[in-house]
Amino acid sequence: MIINHPLLGPRDAAEFVHLGDASLIDRPNWQAEDAAAQFLDYAYMRDNPAGELRELWYHEQGDRSWLVVTRNTLTHEISSVELARDVALARGRDR
Amino acid sequence: MPEFTLTAKPFLGGYSRDFNGTTLTEATDVSITSIAQPLGGREALAKAVQSAWGCALPTPGKTVEADDGHRMFCTGPDSFLLTGPALADPAGDAAKALKGAGYVTDQSETWVTLRLSGPQARPALERICPVDLHPDALPAGAFARTVMEHLGAIVLAEGGDTFTLMSASSSANSFLHAIEVSLQNVG
Repeated sequence: MIINHPLLGPRDAAEFVHLGDASLIDRPNWQAEDAAAQFLDYAYMRDNPAGELRELWYHEQGDRSWLVVTRNTLTHEISSVELARDVALARGRDR
Repeated sequence: MPEFTLTAKPFLGGYSRDFNGTTLTEATDVSITSIAQPLGGREALAKAVQSAWGCALPTPGKTVEADDGHRMFCTGPDSFLLTGPALADPAGDAAKALKGAGYVTDQSETWVTLRLSGPQARPALERICPVDLHPDALPAGAFARTVMEHLGAIVLAEGGDTFTLMSASSSANSFLHAIEVSLQNVG
């Protein structure tokens, strides 16, 4: 599988480590009233779609960047690759 | 009390070997310093690098040649490597030159550097390196941080059939072995 890194171009999947669902970026506020319930959901509840999934990949044997990769779990087709930092900034995180 | 004298030795003992016209040599005359950009400090670092080494910050996957035999690699969105001639305190010198605009660490002892040059250089690397090494994809001055035989490595295209390879000094012998075997296989 080839992942088209937004900064470095096409790279072999062997250079990357797969973490899982990109919803891990949306870490709940630990000070919220229902923080325990939110963290239960955040830590344990995962969608397991047969189709497109946004995933976090880490370019460990490369530039050490985190990526959000949109991959089809049935065909392994990758439709989009973004820097996780850009995704997090777009969602209002400060860094 | 016994008296000891410690003598510094290159990781591979100054290895140099010719494989039918393709040479593989350990480079022992380099210092390596990592430079990390403080959060939001891009502009200040760019200015400091310009005045210290007379070059602009490289873009990802690229290197720029700087003053005094230095070369700067962009190893990540906010991180850089500076290679240069062997110095007593490369990180101290870099810290002084940058005046606090970047976080510096001496990496000279953590990387082993090999120079591979000759007609079989590219065919030998192609077998163990997943990155496209064609001059169109990796022109002179471009580099890739990748993996060879499960070992993290940097491959820098020097132009023509010459490459500089860097990998962890702790596994220097394994890295050398991987390159040697590949050279023998294509040789």
